[in-house]
Amino acid sequence: MRKFLTVVKREYVQRVRAKMFIVSTILLPLVMSLFGIVPAIILGIKTPPLRVAVVDRTGKMFGQLRQSFANEQSEDAASGNTNDRRDISRLAAGDFRFEEVSAGDRSDEQIRADLDQRLRAREIDGYIILAPDFLTTGKTEFFNRNPGDVFSRGRLVSALNRALRQQRLIEANVDSRTREGLFEPVQVQAVKIGAGGRERDSGESFALVFGVGFVMYIAILMYGQIVLGAVIEEKETRIAEILFSSVKPFTLMMGKLVGVSLVALTQLTIWGLAFSVFALYGAGVLASRGISANIPNIPFSQYIYFGLFFLLGYFVYATIYALVGSMVTTAQEGGQLAVPIVLILVVSFYVFFPVSRAPDSTFSFWVSMIPLSAPIAMLVRIVTQTPPFWQIALSLLIGFGSVLAIMWVAARVYRVGMLMYGKRASIPEALRWVRQA
Amino acid sequence: MAASEITVKLDRVTKSFGEFTAVKELSLDVRAGRVFGLLGPNGAGKTTTIRMIVNITAPDSGSILLFGQKLDPRVQDRIGYLPEERGLYRRMRISDQLRFFAELRNFRGKAVEAKVDEWLARVKLSEWKNKRSMELSKGMQQKIQFITSVIHDPDLLILDEPFSGLDPINVELLKEIVLDLKRAGKTIIFSTHQMEVAEKICDDICLLNRSQKVFEGSLREIKRSFGRNSVAVRCEGGDGVLDDPALVSKVVRHADEAQALLAAGADAQVLLKRLIDSGAVIGKFEMVEPSLNDIFITKVTEPA
Repeated sequence: MRKFLTVVKREYVQRVRAKMFIVSTILLPLVMSLFGIVPAIILGIKTPPLRVAVVDRTGKMFGQLRQSFANEQSEDAASGNTNDRRDISRLAAGDFRFEEVSAGDRSDEQIRADLDQRLRAREIDGYIILAPDFLTTGKTEFFNRNPGDVFSRGRLVSALNRALRQQRLIEANVDSRTREGLFEPVQVQAVKIGAGGRERDSGESFALVFGVGFVMYIAILMYGQIVLGAVIEEKETRIAEILFSSVKPFTLMMGKLVGVSLVALTQLTIWGLAFSVFALYGAGVLASRGISANIPNIPFSQYIYFGLFFLLGYFVYATIYALVGSMVTTAQEGGQLAVPIVLILVVSFYVFFPVSRAPDSTFSFWVSMIPLSAPIAMLVRIVTQTPPFWQIALSLLIGFGSVLAIMWVAARVYRVGMLMYGKRASIPEALRWVRQA
Repeated sequence: MAASEITVKLDRVTKSFGEFTAVKELSLDVRAGRVFGLLGPNGAGKTTTIRMIVNITAPDSGSILLFGQKLDPRVQDRIGYLPEERGLYRRMRISDQLRFFAELRNFRGKAVEAKVDEWLARVKLSEWKNKRSMELSKGMQQKIQFITSVIHDPDLLILDEPFSGLDPINVELLKEIVLDLKRAGKTIIFSTHQMEVAEKICDDICLLNRSQKVFEGSLREIKRSFGRNSVAVRCEGGDGVLDDPALVSKVVRHADEAQALLAAGADAQVLLKRLIDSGAVIGKFEMVEPSLNDIFITKVTEPA
């Protein structure tokens, strides 16, 4: 037991003290938040407004178009949708500044020749000529220098659309109150029915589930690879033989797995605390600057479940990694042999999507019982629509039972494999080691 | 001899891997306070034998007693083992590694620190104490590995090819340490195929070949049993005499002298007379013991 603790202590202290640990602890959340924030910042970079000349031969549309742009802002606020796609294209699209150009009695050709010249002289960025029959045909052309700017064009088109509809309603003698009513957007508010009754939810819980699933996936992958590396190091540097003369191979393998798991838990706890601090203070700071960040309130039990299912996932995958590590001779070989494991892990991460869509389906039930996919699948179910407790307990029971079985197999391969130098062990060979007492 | 003076006792130990028998019916007595040489060509079963003694693998049949007891973890902590295949954690500080290996032998606490300093000073690596092992040269690493096997003051020290790859100065340094440990009453099992080294430090030897013991006993006795049937000769002329198969069965010519193994029944005096008669100018004519190397080669190439 004391030797086991010696091994655990070495694994833990050496890893936590390493620069790599400190760097990854700080860097990973930073990278993840950068992925969230940077695109918004870049899309939000202000570009000078597009100057568009409008030749309105209908004589009615220019005012409507201006009005339509002015209404855009208030409409968004009313819909309550801050996360939808339109928002992103809105951010990407530039602002407009309209200028009415009176046609007088010039022909279209004359006007166009004139405007083309101004376009080339960069006095304007584009122009539209609305024909007298625009109200009936709805057809026009947008001349501009930069047809690649689909976002701005889209915004112009939809504003023009609304303006046209508005004007047509006026022509049809619809009174102003009815018209306003017609344009009133629908308001859909997602409400989660949980055990605690109804709670408002506007998309944050999806982000949370996704985040949790993703962190789980990354952590299992990262720490599984660390175990693989640790086992290969001891084999490659031939430390294993000295170690085996003073500790049982099983003790050494377990010490390694437990030691690395403690490192992982340390890192996850730091991240969890950082997230909580951000949730408490950061969200307030952001809110005061007008950025709405609704941090969902996570019940304490979910942190516990996260810990339990992380440990399950970690021990399932890390034990397999330890087994693989003892079979190979170099880190490169280990990487190759580990590919199937990574693939299984990737697949069980993608299971996230069907499970989060239908957390209580038969499919979701089974994937949350299979130890390889349970950590992510069951956690997603817990966060979205907590299944009955017996299911969670059963999943953990099957999972940790399988972990013991995998450890039993791995320990047998490990104690022979660690002392086999020179060539990679084949799978039949490894199976023979398992059968040998 | 009393049983308590036998540190390691192997009794008809057999170990096979599938079809291949690595060690067959091996019985050995390693006496306390002596240096025991476990010799043999590559693949003779030395490493397998050692692995069974240090409890890495279990024998298929036969028994092994250490200090008169069956193997158990407490007995295991009295062993120091330096395997042929050995290494250090690349990124770990030397002092941390040594403490780790000491703790794995249940040697803990403040005393470890003093031992670490003592041993580092002894192998002249004190200033490397807080360096990572990847910063050390191969020879330095090897000395650190040696310390890992002795840091906990074991009563039985097993060294598998401890000097391979070391420069002569460091070989000398480690050899001195091994002999000091012997003087301190430790038992040492020394496995090698470098006969010149074994010859200088072993009291007893056991020669293994093709999984079996060829012979075992004290080095003195073995040499005596082979007799003084070898002559070191340095002379000018008289070459033909050394090539006479009636007198000399084998000649090995070195740069300035030749070593002649006398043919069965031949007399050294006759050889000397023949050389003088042939007009050779003799600089040296000396009866020598066969080297361990000669014994080794003779025994190993002998048809079984």
